[in-house]
Amino acid sequence: MAAAAYELLVLGGGSGGLAGARRAAELGARVALVEPLRLGGTCVMWNTAVHAEFIHDHADYGFETPGVKFNWRTIKEKRDAYVRRLNDIYENNVKKAHIDIIRGYGKFTADPEPTIEVDGKKYTAPHILIATGGRPAVPADSEIPGASLGMTSDGFFDLEELPRRSVIVGAGYIAVEIAGILSTLGSKSSLLIRHNEVLRTFDSLISSNCTQELENTGVDVWKHTQVKGIAKSPHGLLDVTVSSAVPGHKPTEGVIRDVDCLLWAVGRLPNTEGLCLDQVGVQVDPNGHVVVDEYQNTTRRGIYAVGDVCGRALLTPVAIAAGRKLAHRLFEGKQDSRLDYENIPTVVFSHPPIGTVGLTEEEAVAIHGKENVKIYSTSFTPLYHAVTQRKVKCVMKLVCAGKEEKVVGLHMQGLGCDEMLQGFAVAIKMGATKADLDNTVAIHPTSAEELVTLR
Amino acid sequence: MGSTLRKSQAVRQAPGGAPPERRSPAGGFFSGLTSSEQNWQFCLYQQEMLLPRLTLYWSGNAFILAPAVMITGLFAELAELNRLVGNHPQLFFSWVSFLLGGAPKLREGQREAAAETSQPVVSVRKKQIGDHERTLKAHKEEDNPQKTMEVNGLTPVPDSYDYDLIVIGGGSGGLAAAKEAAKYEKKVMVLDFVKPTPQGSSWGLGGTCVNVGCIPKKLMHQAALLGQALQDSRKFGWQFTEEVEHNWMTMTESVQNYIGSLNWGYRVALRDKKVTYENAYGEFVGPHTIKATNKKGIEKLYTAERFIIATGERPRYLGIPGDKEYCISSDDLFSLPYCPGKTLVVGASYVALECAGFLAGLGLDVTVMVRSILLRGFDQDMANRIGEYMKEHGVNFIREFVPVKIERVEEGTPGVLKVTAKSTAGDQMIEGEYNTVLLAIGRDPCTRKIGLDKVGVNINEKTGKIPVNDVEQTNVPYIYAIGDILQDKLELTPVAIQAGRLLVQRLYAGATTKCDYVNVPTTVFTPLEYGACGYAEETAMEKFGEENIEVYHSHFWPLEWTVPSRDNNKCYAKIICNIQDNERVIGFHVLGPNAGEVTQGFAAAIKCGLTKEQLDNTVGIHPVCAELALKTVTLVGRQVKTGIATGIDLPLMSGLSGYGHSPALAGVFEEESVKEKSLWPFCCVVSLPKATWPLSNPTRTKRPVADLPRLSPPGASRSDGGKEYPELEAIHKDHQGPTPGPAQNSPKSGTRVEFKGFSLSHTINLI
Repeated sequence: MAAAAYELLVLGGGSGGLAGARRAAELGARVALVEPLRLGGTCVMWNTAVHAEFIHDHADYGFETPGVKFNWRTIKEKRDAYVRRLNDIYENNVKKAHIDIIRGYGKFTADPEPTIEVDGKKYTAPHILIATGGRPAVPADSEIPGASLGMTSDGFFDLEELPRRSVIVGAGYIAVEIAGILSTLGSKSSLLIRHNEVLRTFDSLISSNCTQELENTGVDVWKHTQVKGIAKSPHGLLDVTVSSAVPGHKPTEGVIRDVDCLLWAVGRLPNTEGLCLDQVGVQVDPNGHVVVDEYQNTTRRGIYAVGDVCGRALLTPVAIAAGRKLAHRLFEGKQDSRLDYENIPTVVFSHPPIGTVGLTEEEAVAIHGKENVKIYSTSFTPLYHAVTQRKVKCVMKLVCAGKEEKVVGLHMQGLGCDEMLQGFAVAIKMGATKADLDNTVAIHPTSAEELVTLR
Repeated sequence: MGSTLRKSQAVRQAPGGAPPERRSPAGGFFSGLTSSEQNWQFCLYQQEMLLPRLTLYWSGNAFILAPAVMITGLFAELAELNRLVGNHPQLFFSWVSFLLGGAPKLREGQREAAAETSQPVVSVRKKQIGDHERTLKAHKEEDNPQKTMEVNGLTPVPDSYDYDLIVIGGGSGGLAAAKEAAKYEKKVMVLDFVKPTPQGSSWGLGGTCVNVGCIPKKLMHQAALLGQALQDSRKFGWQFTEEVEHNWMTMTESVQNYIGSLNWGYRVALRDKKVTYENAYGEFVGPHTIKATNKKGIEKLYTAERFIIATGERPRYLGIPGDKEYCISSDDLFSLPYCPGKTLVVGASYVALECAGFLAGLGLDVTVMVRSILLRGFDQDMANRIGEYMKEHGVNFIREFVPVKIERVEEGTPGVLKVTAKSTAGDQMIEGEYNTVLLAIGRDPCTRKIGLDKVGVNINEKTGKIPVNDVEQTNVPYIYAIGDILQDKLELTPVAIQAGRLLVQRLYAGATTKCDYVNVPTTVFTPLEYGACGYAEETAMEKFGEENIEVYHSHFWPLEWTVPSRDNNKCYAKIICNIQDNERVIGFHVLGPNAGEVTQGFAAAIKCGLTKEQLDNTVGIHPVCAELALKTVTLVGRQVKTGIATGIDLPLMSGLSGYGHSPALAGVFEEESVKEKSLWPFCCVVSLPKATWPLSNPTRTKRPVADLPRLSPPGASRSDGGKEYPELEAIHKDHQGPTPGPAQNSPKSGTRVEFKGFSLSHTINLI
């Protein structure tokens, strides 16, 4: 195949790469996609755990449910089938869009024009998009002895059985989601966090409420705790040595025994090492993230990057949107087409789910000054729990700034907050003020109506 | 309380005694009396309405009547006095001090009349009437109070009303208004009274929404969803061996307990806000005057400067033999002390479909009898999809029939009822036996028996609804109305609440904001939930013209339904835009789980003037249903380009919908020779091969689904079992596009496809 046949080369068949490649193809560009592995990844597991919670409530709603058990294999098979189907769909779509798939790992060469080499074959194009994504970080064995005995979120989805005893390390959203799923499905789970709350980059309302909800659902949260070492016990299980250091107290050491699942969720690393970016002068930051401007341009003309590899807003739809915007800019002549990274809505599938968009209260105060920020918040028990013994509250916070009380942030955790967020994100993106929300008639009875009746 | 006392004292201490022209409106019936005489009369008139204990004082000593009269404004408190004396010692002492304050001097005639057998003795216009009985008799024979008042040209004196505001009806709207008014330190009373249903059901404070509407129906809908969740959970890996059964009583008791706690909460809230609450039926008897009749039939009169009518609506009955005797309504269903069993739901209102939906979801055999269309007033495309989904989930529909007779075959809880129904199209009659017949054919406003004729408030004679101006004012300036009883307004709890609050803020806080009845979001809790905001497609066409609106739509399959692999291609989102106004979104419709939660935020965005472009520019949240609503395809082909830009985004969704072949077909379409301006069937065909297309536009109605069987790749799964649509024939012509790739089973870009089978023929290009 002639190297110059393509107008766009995409490295990585994740969401961002796919979206950019397909949009470019639609706009008439000749595109090739370099991807060594399968595509996909989902959050089906979360739904399973939601069912677990609902089953607890069935009796309150009049259902007589005798002896309920959970079968991990069933859900795993379903999930795998679903993911396989998604893979197929993606692949079909790519083919139908006349995008060539080049199987293998691509890397930049030292040629004067940016060139990609895959399995000894060279390809070039005026535009090259890096969308190789990221992978979960695992501490080195030299740092924490036995660290490699643990798994990551990738391994989690390959588990054949529900672990009996799980230890999750990390305080980010992946840690929170997985701890919630495992615990709700019946695995005795401990979450080890370095500080006293999870999700510390979120609004304080969310971090404190989420930490509390984790504990309420039975996750054993070890605060101010770090892993010191991991050893394989005689029966093939893991013994995890931890050290807890509450500020002002002497550190204490402890061992969590007979762990069959130790999961690292301590961050993600960008997949940039193998790309030989230095060959083409694409700059990376100290953590390996590709440095890009707001138009996704790297430091080398004609090379762009989207998604996790840039280390910014690690969310699937962000990568997708950025990829598409870029395609419009490159192949449709829309010079200003770029993704606005402000007000990107985020959902964490914790139990109950978290929805958040815009500035946290702390950020808003830092930007607008304390006197210009007005906070509205509420905490209530959703109607669903009116008749159930299990009560899980819903908390909401609206961050408003300026005289006109423009809504600059929305943070909530509770049943249905995932679905509630999208529309409000649109409104906030449009510059909605508190008065606009007040002037919106409530939908009764929903939880979302609280957001238009905050006082 | 204190302020009332002062008010009464002010009347008494008016300079030069009580001036004749200064009359309390309550005294209007006996005009011509001095103020003290009026008070006498008023007291007398009220005698029957006072509590027994109070009456004792009266008959015991006529001399203490007059001071007692001074606190007529306190009747409500007096009524509560027996119970509340501990809470209100200051009131008690004030009252006692009045009693001890000495009686006014008796007039000549009265002194003479002391010989009468029964006390007190009453004079009107210096003419002695007689004792209690005679006075009552005289009153009944007299002109009605309003007329008397008018004849005498009396204008009410604001200072002397018992209340600043009386709200008739303690539902969502009334309570919101009352509590808001109390915030501005107004003296407020709420009258609430529930007339039991023909089956004897009754409930507490809070109105329809709380007791027999939104709250219980959503909880029972939730119970039905949990039933579905149980079935789904097997596919999610949960194992339970025995059959799961549903216990109606457990559910109903839980729901009723919750409602009970709300009723209590409302009463406490009123007390905290110092709003007087009477469980009594309010009925206007004269200007600014209302009669309150409690459960025991005891009547009291109250006056107020302003009134808000918020009486709401009650279910309509058919007016056929056996309906009131044997049928239940939504007023009975939520507290039914037995499982209703095999149920016939009559009607196609949202109440009918919601009840039918959750009853079927609880495993009951449910039939819905529909006279004409489903969900009148809602977008008919969406309404039909809801009906379709219910049908697939086991709800039977009998269309174009109305019941003519209900008979009881067997007594019991439930018994057996025989329903005879007649076709609306011909003379055909059918019969059926059911355990329960639930009427949900509509609701009538409670406006005909509250004395509106006495004060001259206009109602629509046909519907009973009250017309109001844009500030919720009736034709009688001091009487306002809010909620479901308003003509041409929305029957929704939050609308009533908003209207009530804003009205009170305008009355007492100098606010100017009016209640906006446009772009009000709503949700219907049918098994497939429906959320909507703004115009229905047909209303939008009517209002803006078909050529000026653009409709974007998409089907989606919620992620959580994929694992149990059910109901693919059922969830649906539709956005209606006004082309003339920068493609502003004027209608938002979504069918799917949590539709209400999804819609609220979009409603806020629409309120801010959302356009299609802004919608497109919002980053989706993955993976939630609301995200899917963002990705909408074009429906009307004229605006092809816009449609395609989004249309082509759909691979994942179409894939989720179980149509692996759809994305192949989604492409940029261009009309070539189109004899009709719209290309809609083909966009629909191409992106959504299976959709049935029940559009409301008559020229489009019931047109067969445009499917392209030949264009589907082999092995594509279809939930309709690969049904053929012989009306349509798709001819694959002219491969003009780029060289086909290896796995291409469907037309390439650039393929020209001709569709036949309609009355007209279209040729379109896939470019």
